[in-house]
Amino acid sequence: MNKNLALGILLLTALNVFAQQQNDTVNKTKLKINGGFESNAQWYLNDTERDIKHPEDPFRSNNYLFLKANYGKFTVGTQVESYYKQALLNYNPAFEGTDFSLYYANYKSDKLDLTAGHFYEQFGSGLILRAWEDRALGINTALRGGRVNFKPFEGVSITALYGKQKSGFHVSEANIFGANTDLDLATLFKQENFGLTVGFSYVMRDQEVSETAFDPDQVNPPSISQQTGAYSGRLGFSKSGFYISSEYSFKDKEPVLETKAVTYNFIKPGNALLLNFGYSERGFGIDATLRRLENMVFLSDREPVVYGPELLSTNYNDRVLNFTPSLTKQHHSNLANIYVYQAQNKVFIDPNGVKKAGEIGGQFDIFYNFKKGTSLGGKYGTKVALNASNWFNLDAEYSTRAVQISTPNAEYTFDVNDYDAKFLAGSQKYFSDYNIEISKKLSKDFRGSLIYVNQYYNDQYIRGVAFDNVVKTNIIFAEGIYTFSGGKAITAGLEHMWADNDRGNWASLSLEYNHNMNWSVYLMDMYNYGYEENTELIAGDIDAFDIHFYNAGVTYRKNSSRFSVGYGRQRGGLVCAGGVCRFVPASTGVSFTITTSF
Amino acid sequence: MKKIALLLLFVCTAATAQKELPNVNLKSLDNKSMNIKSDFSEKDKVYVYVFWATWCAPCIQELDAINDVYGDWKEELNMEIIAVSIDDARTGKRVKPMVNGRSWDYTVLLDTNQDLKRSLSIANPPYTIVVKNGVIVSEQAGHAPGSEHEFFEKLKSL
Repeated sequence: MNKNLALGILLLTALNVFAQQQNDTVNKTKLKINGGFESNAQWYLNDTERDIKHPEDPFRSNNYLFLKANYGKFTVGTQVESYYKQALLNYNPAFEGTDFSLYYANYKSDKLDLTAGHFYEQFGSGLILRAWEDRALGINTALRGGRVNFKPFEGVSITALYGKQKSGFHVSEANIFGANTDLDLATLFKQENFGLTVGFSYVMRDQEVSETAFDPDQVNPPSISQQTGAYSGRLGFSKSGFYISSEYSFKDKEPVLETKAVTYNFIKPGNALLLNFGYSERGFGIDATLRRLENMVFLSDREPVVYGPELLSTNYNDRVLNFTPSLTKQHHSNLANIYVYQAQNKVFIDPNGVKKAGEIGGQFDIFYNFKKGTSLGGKYGTKVALNASNWFNLDAEYSTRAVQISTPNAEYTFDVNDYDAKFLAGSQKYFSDYNIEISKKLSKDFRGSLIYVNQYYNDQYIRGVAFDNVVKTNIIFAEGIYTFSGGKAITAGLEHMWADNDRGNWASLSLEYNHNMNWSVYLMDMYNYGYEENTELIAGDIDAFDIHFYNAGVTYRKNSSRFSVGYGRQRGGLVCAGGVCRFVPASTGVSFTITTSF
Repeated sequence: MKKIALLLLFVCTAATAQKELPNVNLKSLDNKSMNIKSDFSEKDKVYVYVFWATWCAPCIQELDAINDVYGDWKEELNMEIIAVSIDDARTGKRVKPMVNGRSWDYTVLLDTNQDLKRSLSIANPPYTIVVKNGVIVSEQAGHAPGSEHEFFEKLKSL
């Protein structure tokens, strides 16, 4: 800690002195210091109706201060994080206390980009590598090491990197190596009337196979390599409004992470195939994305860290090297975000129940703009968006295979799992979402939209649980924005969800009043009135009655800053952003948010 | 405590400094690499960078509203809107059909792993940055529906 602090101060001071000297000369290059601060705090309260008692430290906050100093082609930066007195409920336990979370030094010219320290990176669409940050989800999977990016000429980009992956304020054990090339062939060969790109990536995790990781009475010395590689190839083509791109990724064989631990007798490779194509012109767009994932969990530690019973680092999206988001529409309706699909990238075999090896499916979109003055467009035009997604389990044969173990004392034989998945075939349905959104400006001051959503959510297969629970929903959501003169506006949203299982039907109302560019207030209530006794609830035995989830708050915005205070109830369950979900416990309390950049 | 005091010191130094965009290249919708500084550097032209995402309803509302008057704005003022999508691999494929399907006339750039957003310490979209002659002259977190006219008056006064 002190070493890091000293290093940071030294770098900044050195830059400061250097810059002052330079500023005295005619050289126009200046030292620039920028950054940002974000604080998300929660004061947890008791809620007798819900039988919720606040946690031991009722006031908790996640705070982030990011600073960078730039001088010409050189930049140094750091991020300090403070979790006071603890991190918000159900954040990764690795986020504890106050410390330097990351630091880096960077040199960047037109052709060369060099980083030492922490860096973020994504190869292709992230199927084998994505190092990123999402504070709302408590994700920071930056790599700490070094990276070189070289662009010798236009259309060519080459990256090589080495690092260890960040986990909380530390890094995980394995060494990660990566290389990536992106070639824009159309640019290279000066072709103007079409686009053609290719890309290749390689990622390798180098981690000792610990002899103590497996029980010698149950496993033969594992015949796995210390190095696990992952490879990705990409191809993209476009001509006028048409485009098509595809990405295939492959991961070397490694022990499969089953529910709670790695199984050293069950060693399989993984792969992913992504295909995207579409056509668009002004006023019209159509797009299809298809994807197949098989055993594509790729972690920076072969074995997840165990934080407690049933709690692994993977539960917090920690020590994850790749990114396999769910490809479904991210709705902004409150109720359509209750049953959210989570991409199925892992192998899960319950001898008496759910067996899955990945997912296969796709998503389709159509966007159309009925022009002004046409019969359907009216005076201001009408925008229509159709979206459909369907996701299935892979069609696979599951088997067990006898393994013989010889120890000095005895010989054992027992069964280990295996599977063989077909290439293009699906079986059980995980999830589907069909929706249509019509948005229209109805007068000079009023805009409205109408959304219908139909969802199918197979909880048993998505979560891999014993109880057979499928929820089918129909949602109608109407939203309107009325603007007054002087920047005043009222936004109102009204929703209803018919659900045939779990908590049953819901209704939701949200109101927001914008007083001017700076002030706004909001009020929202999600009312679950369809609860029936003796139902097996997906989120467990909480709030087992009809319940209002109300929230109200005030927001003040000025320039680059935003302050917000709110009071309300948080539904227990999954909170999702960007296709990745975090489990949050049921809570009631006051929340404070500050964000600013400078 | 000492740590915090030191950091505050840096923050104060920073607050007085002039802010510029970082030197970052992003891909456009037709896969061309564009530098957010040097490719948008015409003298006295007003560049408005709007950070948005396909899943951000207020962003779409704002960009829809501005699109209705964008032609008039460009006639009256030498300005350009650059809509920077922060959609990642989850929703990134929906950007192109949506931009066309909504008939938006903006230059659209893709900040797929959110490097630019992070570099500018932007917490949430929508977020608007106005740049003139290489210097950030105005920033606005969030969007107030119906404030387009007020915003344009401000752009003209910069």
